[in-house]
Amino acid sequence: MAADVDIFPTEGNLRVPLIGSVALHSVLFALALFGNLIPSGRGESWGGTTGGGGAMSATLVSSIPLPTPPVETQNVLANESKGLAQSQPKETSREEPKAIPIPERETKHKGPRESVQKKPPPKEVAKVEDNKIPFGQGGPVSGPYGSFTSGSTKGGLSFTGGTGDFGSRFGWYVDGVRRKVSENWLKYEVDPRIDAARRVYIYFEVTRSGQPVNIRVEQSSGIPSLDQSAMRALQRIDTFGPLPPEYSGNYVAVEFWFDYRR
Amino acid sequence: MTKRFAAILFAVLLFAASNVLAQDWIRTGTGLGVEKIRLAAPDFKLATSDAQTQSLASTFNTTLWNDLQFAGIFDMVSKSFYPLSIPGAPQDVHLGDWSVPPPNANMLAFGNVGVQGGSINVQGWLYDTKNAQSPQVLGKQYREEASNANARLIAHRFADEIIFRLGGGIAGIAETKIYYVSNRSGSKEIWQMDYDGANPKQLTHTGSIALSPHVSPDGSRVAFSGVTKDGWQIQMYSLELGRLVSFPRFGGDNYSPAWSSDGQNLAFSSSRTGNTEIYSVSAAGGTPRRLTESKAPDTSPIWNPKTNAQIAWVSGRTGLPQIYTMASDGTNAVRVTDQGYAVSPSWSPNGQFLAFAWVRHYGPGEPGASDIYVMDIASKQWVQLTHDGGRNDFPSWSPDGRHIVFQSSRGGHVQIYSMLADGTEVRLLTAGGENTQPNWSFK
Repeated sequence: MAADVDIFPTEGNLRVPLIGSVALHSVLFALALFGNLIPSGRGESWGGTTGGGGAMSATLVSSIPLPTPPVETQNVLANESKGLAQSQPKETSREEPKAIPIPERETKHKGPRESVQKKPPPKEVAKVEDNKIPFGQGGPVSGPYGSFTSGSTKGGLSFTGGTGDFGSRFGWYVDGVRRKVSENWLKYEVDPRIDAARRVYIYFEVTRSGQPVNIRVEQSSGIPSLDQSAMRALQRIDTFGPLPPEYSGNYVAVEFWFDYRR
Repeated sequence: MTKRFAAILFAVLLFAASNVLAQDWIRTGTGLGVEKIRLAAPDFKLATSDAQTQSLASTFNTTLWNDLQFAGIFDMVSKSFYPLSIPGAPQDVHLGDWSVPPPNANMLAFGNVGVQGGSINVQGWLYDTKNAQSPQVLGKQYREEASNANARLIAHRFADEIIFRLGGGIAGIAETKIYYVSNRSGSKEIWQMDYDGANPKQLTHTGSIALSPHVSPDGSRVAFSGVTKDGWQIQMYSLELGRLVSFPRFGGDNYSPAWSSDGQNLAFSSSRTGNTEIYSVSAAGGTPRRLTESKAPDTSPIWNPKTNAQIAWVSGRTGLPQIYTMASDGTNAVRVTDQGYAVSPSWSPNGQFLAFAWVRHYGPGEPGASDIYVMDIASKQWVQLTHDGGRNDFPSWSPDGRHIVFQSSRGGHVQIYSMLADGTEVRLLTAGGENTQPNWSFK
C-alpha cells in the first residue's frame, strides 16, 4: 500500500465548484447592485418619497371603461327595470317612425314678432326634436297687436272671429283686451321658486256684452301656480266692454299666452 | 360710513319698491290702469261762425277736455304738440300727422260744433291713429237746444262714450252727481252738484240741520238724517217730486242711512234701545232689524255694493273707533283696522276696497293727521292717498271705482275735493260756506 495516500480528491476536482461559487456570488452582487430597477409590487413606491413627484395626477373620464361582458346577463336582480316581476330587460325606446311635425305650431312660429324673440343658444337647438317648438321660439300667434311686456315677463294674444279680420278692423278693442289682461296678471301669485317656465296658453271667448267666458288652460306650462295665475287674470275681469257694434258675430275667441321669467 | 350709506340706500330703494307695488295693485284694482292711452283732443271746429257758437264751442271744448283728463285712463297730449291743421270732419284727418311725434297719439277725438235754428249741433269722432285701414272707433251726432248747460251735457255724453269704449267697458261718470251738506244758505242743508262741481243746487229747506246724505241706486231719492220734533230721524227727499216724502220714524236718535246697491234695504245707526247700534230696514219701511250688539257705539254702516252680503261700519268696542266688517245678517264681525282712529268707511263699487279716514297715530304727543286711506280688504294692504293737507274725512267712491270725493280743511275752510283713486289729480269742487259729507251717486 502506498505511504502517501491522498485523503483529498484530486486537485483538478476543486476547480469546478470554485468557478461555480464565483459565478454565483457575481450574480448575487449584480442583483444587490441593480435590484431597485426591477419593478416590485410592494415597498415605498406608493406615495413614498422616492416617487417621480410629490402629488398624484388624475384624469376625469366620463365613464369607467369596464370590459363589456360577452353575453348579456338575464339576471332579474341586475335588471334596470323598476318592475318587480319583470324578467326581461326593458327595450330601449326608439323614435316613433310615424311622428310628423304639427303644422299649427309651425305657423305660429312664423309670427311677425319672431324677430323680437331672443334666439336660444345653438346647443339648445341641437337637442330639439323635429316636431316640437323650442321654448321661447313660438312667438305670438298672429296679429299686429299680439304681445305685451311687463318687466321680464311677456304675453300675447290672437283673435279669431268673423272673417278673421277682427284684429285689423278693431285694433283698439284688441289693444284694450291686451291692456286689461296684462294689468290683471299678478306675477306674485306664481310660485317664488320658479325662475322660468314654459309658455302657458289660455283660451277664452268674449261675448257681445264683453264678458270673458269659457276660460280654460289650452296648453299648460307644467307649473300649476303659473297656470292658476294666468287663469285668475281672466277671472278677475268682469267685462272688456261690448264688442264693437260694427262686428256682426256673437263672440270672438281669444288665445292668450304668458311667458314667465323672474 | 360706506355701510351706513348702503343701508340708507337700501331703505330708500325698499321704500320706492313698496310704493311702486302699492301703486300697481291699486291701479289694477280700481281700473285706472298702469298703461295709459295717449289721446289727442283738439278743439272742435266751428261749423257756424256767430258769437253764440263761439261761446258754446268754448264751453264744449273745455268740458270735454276736463272730462277726458279727469277720467284717469288717458295721457292727454298737450295741445302745443298738435299739427297746425286741426280736423273738423273725417275728410280733414291726416293720421300720419298724429301718429308720430311730437303728438304721437294713439287716439284722436275731433269734430265740429254749430248752432242752427236755436239748436246746438255737435258731430264728434274718435279715430285710432295707428290703424290706417279702418281708423274710426266712434262717430256720434248730438242735437240739443242751444244753451251752455246743453253744451256741457253733450260734452259729458261724448266724453262718456269715449271712456266707455276705451276704458274696458266701465261707464264714464261725467253725468253723475254728488250730494253733500252745505251751510251757505245759513243752515246745514242737502245740496247736489255735477261731478265736476258745476251747477250746485240746494235740495232741502228744513231750516234746521240735515246731515249724511245718501242717494238711492236709481237716483230717485236721497236719504239723510235730520233734526225733527222726534229727535234725529232718517228722512227721505224725492228727487223726482222735489220735496220730502214720508219715511217711518223710529225711537231714539237715528243717523247715517246707507242704501244697499239693489235699492231694497237701508242700514243706519240708531239708539232706539239706548245704545247706538246698526240696524237694517226695508226701503219701504217696516221693522228695523238689529245687526250689532255691544256696549260701545256702532255707527256709519255701508253695504258692499258688489254683493250686498256684507256691511262695513265703525265701532268703539275696543276703545278708539275702528272699521269692522260683518255679514249683512250681523254675523262674522271682523276688525279691519288695527290702530289709531278710523272712521267714515266707503266701499268701492267692485267690492274690493274700503276707503276711510284714518288717524294712524292718535293720542297725546302724537301729531297724527286725518287722511284718506284705501285698503284691499282681502289682503289688508293699505295705501295713503292724502298727505299733509289739513283734516280729510268722509271719502265716497265714484260709480266707476276710479275716483274718490272727500272733504278736507286743507284750504282753511272745509270744502269738497275729488281725486283719482290713487291719490292724484286732486280738484277742489266747492266754494262758499262750509261743504261737507259728500256722497257720489250710483250712476
